[in-house]
Amino acid sequence: MRKSLLMTFLLLTLILGACGGASLEGEEVTITGALIGEDQEGFRANFESFTEETGIVVTYQGSDNFEQEIQIQMESGDTPDFALWPQPGAVVDAAQRGMLTSLEDLEIDIDAYKTNFSSYLVGLGTVDGSIYGGANAANLKSIVWYQPAEFEARGYAVPETWDAMIALADQIVADGMNPFCFGMYSNGASGWLATDWMEDIMLRTGNGTTSYDQWVTNELKFEDPIVKNAASLLSQIMHTENYVVGGTDAIVSTYFGNAQDPMFSKDANGNPGCFMHRQASFIPSFWPEAAQAGVGVETTVFPFPVIDESLPKAALGAGDMWGAFNDRDATKAVAEYMLSAEFHAAAAAMPNNARLSAHTGFDTSLYSKDINRILGTIIADALAADAFRFDASDLMPPEVGAGSFWKEMMNLAVEGPGYIDTALANIDTSWP
Amino acid sequence: MKQTQEKKLFTFGISTLALVIFPLAWFLSQAILFRELTEQVTRNVLVLIAIPLGSTLVFLLFLGMDRLIKLVPRDSREVLEARMFVGPSIFMIFLFLFYPAMRTIYLSFKDRYSNDFIGLENYKWAFTDAEMITTIRNQIVWLISVVLLTVFIGLIVAWLTDRLNKGESFFKSIVFMPMAISAVGATAIFKFIYEYRPPPLTQIGIINGIRVSRGEECYNNRIIDGVLEGYDDASCENAVGWLQQRDLSNLPIADSLESGGWFSNLLINLPINTMLLMIIMVWMYTGFAAVVFSAGIKAIPGEIMEAGQIDGASELRIFRSIVIPYIKSTVIVVSTYMVVTVLKAFDIIYVSTRGDLETNLLAVKMLDEFSKYRNFGRSSVVAVLIFVCVLPVIVGTALRERENSRS
Repeated sequence: MRKSLLMTFLLLTLILGACGGASLEGEEVTITGALIGEDQEGFRANFESFTEETGIVVTYQGSDNFEQEIQIQMESGDTPDFALWPQPGAVVDAAQRGMLTSLEDLEIDIDAYKTNFSSYLVGLGTVDGSIYGGANAANLKSIVWYQPAEFEARGYAVPETWDAMIALADQIVADGMNPFCFGMYSNGASGWLATDWMEDIMLRTGNGTTSYDQWVTNELKFEDPIVKNAASLLSQIMHTENYVVGGTDAIVSTYFGNAQDPMFSKDANGNPGCFMHRQASFIPSFWPEAAQAGVGVETTVFPFPVIDESLPKAALGAGDMWGAFNDRDATKAVAEYMLSAEFHAAAAAMPNNARLSAHTGFDTSLYSKDINRILGTIIADALAADAFRFDASDLMPPEVGAGSFWKEMMNLAVEGPGYIDTALANIDTSWP
Repeated sequence: MKQTQEKKLFTFGISTLALVIFPLAWFLSQAILFRELTEQVTRNVLVLIAIPLGSTLVFLLFLGMDRLIKLVPRDSREVLEARMFVGPSIFMIFLFLFYPAMRTIYLSFKDRYSNDFIGLENYKWAFTDAEMITTIRNQIVWLISVVLLTVFIGLIVAWLTDRLNKGESFFKSIVFMPMAISAVGATAIFKFIYEYRPPPLTQIGIINGIRVSRGEECYNNRIIDGVLEGYDDASCENAVGWLQQRDLSNLPIADSLESGGWFSNLLINLPINTMLLMIIMVWMYTGFAAVVFSAGIKAIPGEIMEAGQIDGASELRIFRSIVIPYIKSTVIVVSTYMVVTVLKAFDIIYVSTRGDLETNLLAVKMLDEFSKYRNFGRSSVVAVLIFVCVLPVIVGTALRERENSRS
């Protein structure tokens, strides 16, 4: 009985809304994407206040099979209003097939979009000069996990530069312990952790983002002195005696998800197995449960150290992006809202929010989780300096990015610094 | 004279109708029907409809062909009926086996997206690329070692269990047990045996667990009175990531091999990870070989064995001169089966190392080239390589079958 009353009420509002002319009251906008579970709830909740204000009903439906489903929907023409893809490449692909409406046609203020999200991110969703992708969330790889209490107890300071990090590592070795955790075994993808290290070093040496972008397209060869220098800095970490707990054998044999476990395990003298672990922001889900509870407080991060101080503070990461399939007025309104600071501020303040915003124009102290405040600030700073870059190995051709680059990094770890030249030459040869 | 010619013509007409036109019409009408159905009903309903409808239609096909053939004079009917039953299967084999195989060979001469012909470029890659050479080397090592070991150990188990007075079936079923586990499950078990953790952590793999707890002050991490006793000491043996060792240089044995000389050089390059992976397959298939051999041994007439024993032949002599000749054909059948199984070996590598650190096999390489690197030409070449390796086995089996049926 109550239900039918509610339905009549809804119908009435719909009719009234429709009679209201220009008002978008009651219009429906659908979004599909790959966010499921808690992220799906969070993403839905972002639109609550928006619906209250404008009356546009936004429904988000996530699916773990999203990427195949959206392909089928595009083939059959039965598309939602928006699709939120986990990576920008898919947006470009859809735009090239003529499926998407450009942001210009959606009457988005492009200049404001570029200032808020950095022109690099905007460029990732651009096809033939038209912008099709709307940036949304990001994740971060340029971080080193450490435990502040262990640092304080021994009087170690958080290193801000590469030289400081090396000095600290030498200090830890002199104190009879191992500074780094490093494990890059990953079934069928072994080596990606070392390519991440290489990318982080590349962003901070040479000409910074400029040489990084040239490197991604192979304009800058692997045998170039800049890349060679990056490889020898990485080799310094991997091959200096006692730097990595367990030595090179552990580097190639340890599953990346277990790599940080020594940090949480204390020996007879109460010393942890290692003090620093460079790994992306997703790693806490691999930690032992007890350690997971202390993320952001007991175990937290410092930004990957600066190497060349003349370069802007860079960050390595990835991000998702949406594309719109039509230019209805309601679609325009939702697109504008999703690029606004209000949307991202509301998302950040959500109690269970785990996603990091790619918007730079809001107060990062709004993040509800401790760890997100730290990570969000690093991302926002890098984006504001236009020094945020995507994982290079994902952007290189798969024979290199998922093939020789990984493989030669594994070989480098096993063979030692004498192998650098051979490794880089082999990668150059394999470039298609 | 004229009548027989007319009869021949009539028979020919009916047989074309029965064996070509009718099945073709049947096939096309069904294809169209199911294509329409797929668009109309949901998947679950489709499955429910397809099973009874499909089998009814097959029944109708044979019924119709049979009716048509009945029109032909009795004397030429038998041949046609035989063709009627073989025909559809040959057609299906052609459509689903022969045609894809030919197309794969055709694609192996084209570029990565199958657009342009590039001649033998892909084949050149297959035999010059360092990774491909390693993969081919591994495949050869697997073929020789796994087949030989499985047959050899299988023979020993079969012979020994046959000598038992009691508990033969018990021991045989224990050895046979791994056959009941899927390759993925078996590999998961062995992954735990070879498991490695970075040093200060407790080793959960049994081999590393034993290694690190040998020696006096060495323990696989235990806490007594709140004090941790571990193996983090220079005198203790270190844990080894077994599946990541492509030679012996990280093992203590390497120190005693440093002397040089061709044999120790060869030994130090022993691909230990590949060998450990082969053990999984040998473990899985030994039981199968043993059971088949055991049946063969059981079939040897008791008198011959007794005669050998009375003549004073030793056990080894009986095994070599009586048992082996008697079960020779069984050994060949098992070896053939094992060769084909090893060439198809995929799951063990896919689940354990996925081809990292020089452990790859052709079947996994084929998939990687296809789905990881998106190079259809190269993927096809690897498929052709596997096909070419299986070919002699198939031809050999066919020749032997012919010989058997002749004698």
